[in-house]
Amino acid sequence: MIDLVEVFERAETGPLLAETDYYMGRYVPVLSDVISRYKIAWDKETIINTDDDLNDRVFQAAVDLLAEAGAYCPETNRVMQFTRDEILRACSQCPTAATFGEGRERKTMYGRRPDTTDDRPWVHIGAGIYTTDEQVYLDTVEKMASFNIVDSLSVPSILHLRGKDARVRSPQELLAACKTVRLAREGIRRSGRVGLPIINGISAASQPASMFAASYPDFGLRPSDGFLIDFLSEMVVGYEALQKVAFYNSISANVGSTSTPLFGGYAGGAEGVAVTATCYMIMGNLIFRGSYHYNAPLHNKLHLSSTKPLLWAIGVSNAAIGRNMRYPIVNLPYLGGGSGTKQYHYEMAAYMLTVVTSGGNIFSGHPAMSVQPDSIVPDDHKFHAEMGLAAAKLTRAEAEPIAQKIYPLFGDKLKDPDKGLTFQQVYDPRTKRIVNEEYVRVMDEVRTELAAMGFVVPAT
Amino acid sequence: MGDGEIFAKLKQSIIDQDQEAVLAAVDEALGAGIDARVIIDDGLLPGLNVIGEQFEREEIFLPELMRAALAFQAAMGILEPIIRESGGTEGPSKGKIVLGTVKGDIHSIGKNILKLLLETSGFEVWDLGADVDLFAFLDKAKDVDADVIALSALLTTTLVGQRDVIEALKEQGARDRYKVIVGGGATTPEWANSIGADGWAGSAYDAVNLVTRLLS
Repeated sequence: MIDLVEVFERAETGPLLAETDYYMGRYVPVLSDVISRYKIAWDKETIINTDDDLNDRVFQAAVDLLAEAGAYCPETNRVMQFTRDEILRACSQCPTAATFGEGRERKTMYGRRPDTTDDRPWVHIGAGIYTTDEQVYLDTVEKMASFNIVDSLSVPSILHLRGKDARVRSPQELLAACKTVRLAREGIRRSGRVGLPIINGISAASQPASMFAASYPDFGLRPSDGFLIDFLSEMVVGYEALQKVAFYNSISANVGSTSTPLFGGYAGGAEGVAVTATCYMIMGNLIFRGSYHYNAPLHNKLHLSSTKPLLWAIGVSNAAIGRNMRYPIVNLPYLGGGSGTKQYHYEMAAYMLTVVTSGGNIFSGHPAMSVQPDSIVPDDHKFHAEMGLAAAKLTRAEAEPIAQKIYPLFGDKLKDPDKGLTFQQVYDPRTKRIVNEEYVRVMDEVRTELAAMGFVVPAT
Repeated sequence: MGDGEIFAKLKQSIIDQDQEAVLAAVDEALGAGIDARVIIDDGLLPGLNVIGEQFEREEIFLPELMRAALAFQAAMGILEPIIRESGGTEGPSKGKIVLGTVKGDIHSIGKNILKLLLETSGFEVWDLGADVDLFAFLDKAKDVDADVIALSALLTTTLVGQRDVIEALKEQGARDRYKVIVGGGATTPEWANSIGADGWAGSAYDAVNLVTRLLS
């Protein structure tokens, strides 16, 4: 694989191009061309693709997309170019496992292949959702960490200091990022699992300075946690991202390459999202030197990932990578339904059936498009992890008819999703026990309904 | 060829996002003695309306929208000088919009879509880009005598930038001069209310309707 400094050099030596010219002259036409070249088409019905020839063609299309369009660096206005040989060599040398955590919580996440029914996927739960109160923050993290099926956490963000929201890029934001990490580690410590890894480092940091500061070991993060570095949609590799790549590779930390290709944006529809999402994972390995990938395709208008074309595209991208690279993937779902609602559970069931059978690991989801504060209800996330573990016992062919039965239960609601609950509306603040009986009833009902559809989700 | 056929050709070439065909149709229309203003109103804009509807129905996406807008802009490059030479104006715009993603936020796709939809709906737009300084919004709005300031923010951490602009307008005694609308991934109607915005839109298409309503 070409070395990291050489990767950085490509941002200074590639062709000079205005951003609009990059999109309209390179990315958009090349994407359109590779979709035609490899005959990639979604039939507008399938949720979980079982055609592995198509998955392999998507992978080839993604390689060609990067080789022919390159990535774009906005700071230098240059296209970062890589040859097909460089890309394929990087793919062949891609990590297929990443080890996280400390002590008895130290475990390995593997890249999975589609239709693997005899392994236990990595179980990652949580979300970086905004939390209004330090106590709620601690309780949320403690509760999530206490579920013994969980291998790693995404921790919420908490942005205020002394009752005021921290302004982006301010010194207060830096302190808030440090506070987030300290609270998260404390919440995990209270669960008795101090070595449990946090792999969405660092949810409250919008700038490299805050992220690096909060990575100071005394605050509680370690290289064995995971640090997220984002591509800016689409195909943009900015200097801030490359600074993070430089730093986290320098301390040999786990890097989570992260991408959010937008359905309806430059990537276009389902086919373009599938190819672009796959391309990002190739880029995550080659450019960011990731240990794992956060795959988060999103609908441009609805701000969620559970529409039928997106589910198809997400499944295809997992299968394309699972069959050709085995880069460890967790898929980051954004759902329309609020916490504790049937809609949220149905969306997650369809999502888990899609990604886990297609080669992804388990990641619980963001309710209410991730915009409702305090909406991480830990028992939702446990339920959704259980769905993932149940899905891991199915093949794609077995999962597809079940997903098709579930989809009509939420598909029409995505434009106006059901509102949900907050942490405070579900748990007793003193005992941390569930006190909302309706919440439990809804979850039990969904579990029964899923079983009747052939998707048995045992409680752990 | 009758005027009706020429208008149909203008409209269809925009729908096809075919810049060459648009320019050829404009040339044909001018050759037939059709007024430049009428070419825009009865030929090009109906095509853009169809494009906007197709985008809303997810039959086409951002690249197609951009191609149609670029074809329209190329046609305007020919028609605007003709209108000016004839002593006319390009016609009253529907309103002046200053648009940008707030300070600290470097996301721009949603904002770019809104710019295209506003322009193709007949508004004049000043796109200040992403990560925009607070005073850039204020200064540009004052310079162009804007009707609306449209503020985008994708991240929870950058929402505060929208409030900053509204607070700064108040401090400068300029809040009543402009309608301020907010949107972007992390925003909600509740947030818009809480900061005293004049409106919130959940999508670019909704934002065009919102601006139209606010200025009607």
